[in-house]
Amino acid sequence: MRDDMKQIALYGKGGIGKSTTSANLSAALGETGLDILQIGCDPKHDSTRMLMHGAWIPTVLDLVRERGDAAIATDDVVFNGYAGVRCVEAGGPEPGIGCAGRGIIATFQLLERLGALNGDVIVYDVLGDVVCGGFAMPMREGYAEEVYLITSGELMSLYAANNIAKAIARLAKRSRQTCALAGVICNSKNMEGEEDLVREFAARINSAMVAYIPRSRTVTLAELNRQTVMEYAPESEQAGVYRRLAEDIMKNTRTSIPTPLEIDELEELARRFAQV
Amino acid sequence: MNSKNSPAGSLRYEGCTLTGALSVLTQVRDAVTVVHGPSGCTHHNFSLLHAIAAEQDDCALPPLVSTGLAESEIIFGGEEMLARTLQRVADDGPAAIFVLSTCITETIGDDLSSVCSRDFGLPVIPVPTAGFLGGAFSDGLNAALNTLAALAGDGGVRERTVTVIGEKNLEFEVEENFAEVERLLGLLGLRVGVRFVRKMRFADFARLGSGSLNILREPALRPVGEALKQRFGTPYIDSFPIGLEGGVAFLEEAAAIMGIDPEGVVEAERVHQAEMLSSFADLRGAAVSPDPLTLGSLEYAPVRRVMAALDLKADTGGAGLSLPYSPPVGTAGIRRLLHRWRRRIHA
Repeated sequence: MRDDMKQIALYGKGGIGKSTTSANLSAALGETGLDILQIGCDPKHDSTRMLMHGAWIPTVLDLVRERGDAAIATDDVVFNGYAGVRCVEAGGPEPGIGCAGRGIIATFQLLERLGALNGDVIVYDVLGDVVCGGFAMPMREGYAEEVYLITSGELMSLYAANNIAKAIARLAKRSRQTCALAGVICNSKNMEGEEDLVREFAARINSAMVAYIPRSRTVTLAELNRQTVMEYAPESEQAGVYRRLAEDIMKNTRTSIPTPLEIDELEELARRFAQV
Repeated sequence: MNSKNSPAGSLRYEGCTLTGALSVLTQVRDAVTVVHGPSGCTHHNFSLLHAIAAEQDDCALPPLVSTGLAESEIIFGGEEMLARTLQRVADDGPAAIFVLSTCITETIGDDLSSVCSRDFGLPVIPVPTAGFLGGAFSDGLNAALNTLAALAGDGGVRERTVTVIGEKNLEFEVEENFAEVERLLGLLGLRVGVRFVRKMRFADFARLGSGSLNILREPALRPVGEALKQRFGTPYIDSFPIGLEGGVAFLEEAAAIMGIDPEGVVEAERVHQAEMLSSFADLRGAAVSPDPLTLGSLEYAPVRRVMAALDLKADTGGAGLSLPYSPPVGTAGIRRLLHRWRRRIHA
């Protein structure tokens, strides 16, 4: 693994737009000529779909289930998508059975053994909540050093982001731990006062809002056409937003150990901005 | 929640529920027990059961099969692997299959009961254990006894036999302790029918309720005794006899329940006990040092009384003596204890 490789993980509530943001971020980075690997760490395995023009690529765990892990090569699990972004989906067990967290750990072990974790930037797109140690895998030593929280101004979304901040703070206490919070991305739901609320939330947890992504019809249209915004509407304002996000993330050197809020503080914060 | 705090320390009864349950279930000789978990959970217990059986001159291998759970089943779920293993075992034609879960299958949420309820053409009986997650050794043992007790029938008859319940199958002196109970019952003209659960056959459960008296190995098994009493009306004695006075009380209690006049029998046993003690007259006045904590406990009071009868002085400077893990059963148990002590005192 190269020392100068950048590894970032995006965490946030389910349905908040992690996969859309990740895919567009990867596409924007790929367009600049960087070698990008995006790894979807969610049993729903839809993280890289827009980069793959709507195709469902075979997941690592599907292949493990079918052939056992000894018979898998890098080419079986890594697929080239838009802008040369290399795509991997971890996958998981059937809903309601087995242990998806353990599946993420097994996926990382396999990718590590295959030597597949390389490139200029690795983007980990992780399931909504850090429900167990398995989904914290991307934050562990040797993987993502920079974690970005994606949230809207909705209370449930802030709850989830705050919980993930707790996981980062906990993991950061371990010795030899290198993961830290690199920033908060506001993926807007078009609420009044939303940008200020998320900026204030980010400051209160000892971080900063690094991007505000406005709600846009272009995203919906691009996805209906099974493409990232970067590919579907490269000249659009929204594409510009993702390009700036990519630039800012590449330049960002500020990381911090988060100071998560108590639930009361969080609710009070949300109430204050809702009244604006 | 099915998780319990692990008790501190490292006494024998704080081991895994699997060991407790298997100490009971593997005594059903024509059934097979399937452990749903990594093969190590089975290996570990198989070795232990096999070694102890060999010590007890029992050459049968424990009828034990592992599903051999590995990483892939942990991720994707192990229910189908369990079903395949159950089918394979069922094809060999045992009388029944018992199924135990382990820490990991319980953690990933495999539904044992639903797999066991499929039709394999023979009784497939899940026993709630869950490895260390489900508690400790005694929890597993009780779960197995309770599950098996629920299978009991009375065959529609009442026999004048005695049922022995919950023998400690991992105990070195298990057969000697049984023999002492059998001897005392024999003095009253009573005979043991079923040993629940030692060297049993699955079909024996159908007549588990037909005996006239149940004898529990120790008071901790009262819940099983109560359950059988409620279902079949069978009275029970809650413990094997401990020491000499325990032997006499046992004779009196069994006689009272079975409507027998114990007088002559009790008198003969007292004479037998006095003869036994007098054969150890050479130990009189010796200074001995058994473990003071064990010796001081309530259930070892019969041992203290034997020491008083032989004028043995407990003293830190005396011969270091061992006390059995369970208090000695009946006159024979005291005799074996004194035999061991004699070797140490004269050593």
